[in-house]
Amino acid sequence: MMFWLKRSFRYGLALFFAGGCLGTLPLAAATFTASLDRDTVAVGETATLSLTFEGGQPRNVPAPEVPGLQIASTGNSQNFSIINGQMSSTVTVTFSVTPTRTGEFVIPALTADINGQSLTSQPLKLTVTRPNAPSAAEVNSGSQIAFMKLTLPGKEVYENQIVPARLDVYLRDDVQNLSAFQFTSTPAEGFTVGKMVQSSRQQVQIGNRVYTDIPLSFTLTADRTGPVSVGPFTAGAVIVVPSANPQRDFLGFFGGGEQRQVTLASDSVTAQSLPLPTENRPANFNGAIGNYTLTFTAGPTNVAVGDPVTAHIQISGRGTIETLALPGQADWHDFKAYPPTFHVETSDALGLQGTKIFEQIVTPQSTDVHELPPFSFSFFDPDARAYRTLTQPAIPLAVHSGGTTPAPMVAATRPADNRNPAPQDILPIKDQPGLVTPPGPPLVTRPVFLAAQGLPVLAWLAALVWRKRTDRLANNPRLRRRRQVARLVQDGLNELRRLAAEDKPDDFFATLFRLLQEQLGERLDCPASSITEAVIDERLAGLGAPEKLLAGLRELFQLCNQARYAPLRGSSELAAVIPQFENVLRELQNVNT
Amino acid sequence: MKPLLPILLAFLTAAALPGRAMAADAAADFGAANKLYAQGKFTEAGALYRKMIQSGAISPALYFNYGNAEFKSGHLGSAIAAYRRAAQLAPRDAEVRANLEFARNQVQGPALRERRWEAWLGTFSLNEWTALAAAAFWLLFGWFAAMQIRPTLKRARRSVTPGMVIVIALLFTGLGLDALIHFNKPVAVIVVPEATARSGPFDDAQNTFTVRDGAELAVLDRRNDWLEVTDGSGRIGWLPGQQAEVLPGS
Repeated sequence: MMFWLKRSFRYGLALFFAGGCLGTLPLAAATFTASLDRDTVAVGETATLSLTFEGGQPRNVPAPEVPGLQIASTGNSQNFSIINGQMSSTVTVTFSVTPTRTGEFVIPALTADINGQSLTSQPLKLTVTRPNAPSAAEVNSGSQIAFMKLTLPGKEVYENQIVPARLDVYLRDDVQNLSAFQFTSTPAEGFTVGKMVQSSRQQVQIGNRVYTDIPLSFTLTADRTGPVSVGPFTAGAVIVVPSANPQRDFLGFFGGGEQRQVTLASDSVTAQSLPLPTENRPANFNGAIGNYTLTFTAGPTNVAVGDPVTAHIQISGRGTIETLALPGQADWHDFKAYPPTFHVETSDALGLQGTKIFEQIVTPQSTDVHELPPFSFSFFDPDARAYRTLTQPAIPLAVHSGGTTPAPMVAATRPADNRNPAPQDILPIKDQPGLVTPPGPPLVTRPVFLAAQGLPVLAWLAALVWRKRTDRLANNPRLRRRRQVARLVQDGLNELRRLAAEDKPDDFFATLFRLLQEQLGERLDCPASSITEAVIDERLAGLGAPEKLLAGLRELFQLCNQARYAPLRGSSELAAVIPQFENVLRELQNVNT
Repeated sequence: MKPLLPILLAFLTAAALPGRAMAADAAADFGAANKLYAQGKFTEAGALYRKMIQSGAISPALYFNYGNAEFKSGHLGSAIAAYRRAAQLAPRDAEVRANLEFARNQVQGPALRERRWEAWLGTFSLNEWTALAAAAFWLLFGWFAAMQIRPTLKRARRSVTPGMVIVIALLFTGLGLDALIHFNKPVAVIVVPEATARSGPFDDAQNTFTVRDGAELAVLDRRNDWLEVTDGSGRIGWLPGQQAEVLPGS
């Protein structure tokens, strides 16, 4: 620990002095230059653009943008140097420049702000050439360490036909390893390039050398007619070849080889895309190109009108599998058909061979139906250059009424010949617009709706609080009595006011006496009927009640007693007792029991 | 209190009037568009349906008919987009599903197929999932409140509450997943005869694949007016935004 602290202190001191010295040294004038590591590249290769700022830090690093060039930042570095007492700093920002097409490109003059100075670099020219595959002579001579070859199965394809293509990557027998293989361009004109899969490697003899062939297969779909082409494909990779100077690696750290970055390019391959013939095109042809077989089953075959019958249609073969669509069956007009479901099972990596299995649910619409009519499927066979139609025979059905009534609304609102949704056309339009609403955001994003979801929580909380209070009251008899007496006294005061106004002294003092008993009973926790004037001195005085309260109570009790013997009092005299009683009540409620 | 009643009635009538007027206008325009469709004037019918939608009146039937008009006009992508919008409003409408499936079958190229659980979620619209989850939420807290008010109900707590909690958990899971798809997995439907996806969001980028009218693509990203999309076979590329109609995922 001490060692680490000492070392940190030393380094800190050194940096402090170095910083101080650098701060005192004069700086060189700022410059800004742009440079390319080469002025000619092929499509698929990458050049390096360096922006160098000398004599200061750039406030902003300009990002060049040139159509046809993909320019991406790859990093930056910084150097300090002191020559003859003059310090200079150099900041270098590098970009990779990858062309996407051939041509002459100009990287324009760039402007940067260094130490408040606006500096401009010179424009740079970059020539992008077409990548060239090695010639047959070069390949046969064995001089190529690695190369690529692109092949198509034929020179003619049909529009929308999917064909397999192959790209072979060849590595000479002295290549020890291949890594970081990456395509830099896969151009195609009139073709759509599909997924690519790698097959197992094999050894081949080319010229006098043995090469390792890495085959890559992929699909091409011709998306137009006329001349179509694919390639040249370009790729970059790192290969390891035997070192030219094996003494450098005498310990064998690098396997006795040296790494080399290589750029590979294939030829481009052209073909002719033909339109599908219009002659003899079957009516139910829906674009399937390939060679297929068809199986057709259905069940159950004994059903009631409106019951579902599931038709299983299995189309197997080579060609378009994934995008095969179920053709409409014009003869199935006595059935209501629902949208089919399907799943695909492919048996090769490219998905060109396999089976697509459809399940189509149909419901017979009348008892006159005796069979599920034949199912037919047409496709174009590119090998035979002709259309073919596969037809499976009808499947007998026993359809009984089953007590169900065919839905009348379909017949009432739709023409009879439009009832079947599966055949050649879409279902007709709707007659009524239905519930028309203005468009709006989903409920789940509306603040009012979200706020409303707090209401049930609030209701629950309110019920919870109410329950707690009710339970507390139920479990505390003194609290319950206190509340009851408080209500009783409140009502009693109103009663006293009424009796005073009506000049009924007997009732007035009887009520007053009862209220005094109730309030004192509650305070002293004893029955109200047991309260007499005597408790004032016997119990209330012992609780530390103020003398003023005791005197007030005595006076009220005496008033009540006097009323029994001298009941005649005026209304105003009775009313004057009420505030006195209220004062006593207030003080009595403050007595700590 | 009594003078408030006429004021309240007048307010409610005034509030309902624009809705009624809109419904009446919509019915008239809808009928006119249907007439054009029946006469085979699909483009004109489509324009009228579209005008209604742009004026702020929507319904599943309106999108359905608009989809039909676009389909008949040869605009497969616009038709599929309209059917998808109709299906989002009325997810269990068999006719909408049938026409959407029929239109999809006409599209060339790999199809973007929803997974089984996504299809199951699509049984209800996002608003339906929201309403169901909210109703279950209200019921649950209503039940909690009822148990506080009537403690005798607590005897049924063990048999009722776990069931309600499970239902509410399932409904909220459905809502969450559907909302995730709706907001985070938008779909682009190609509405031009042919669109070329490129390796980057600029015109000079290299072509990666071509898709046809009606192709449905998953939108991965947006940059300026460009959409990064992937198709049913896993290919990825950038398309100009104006070549596709972007819809919520569910």
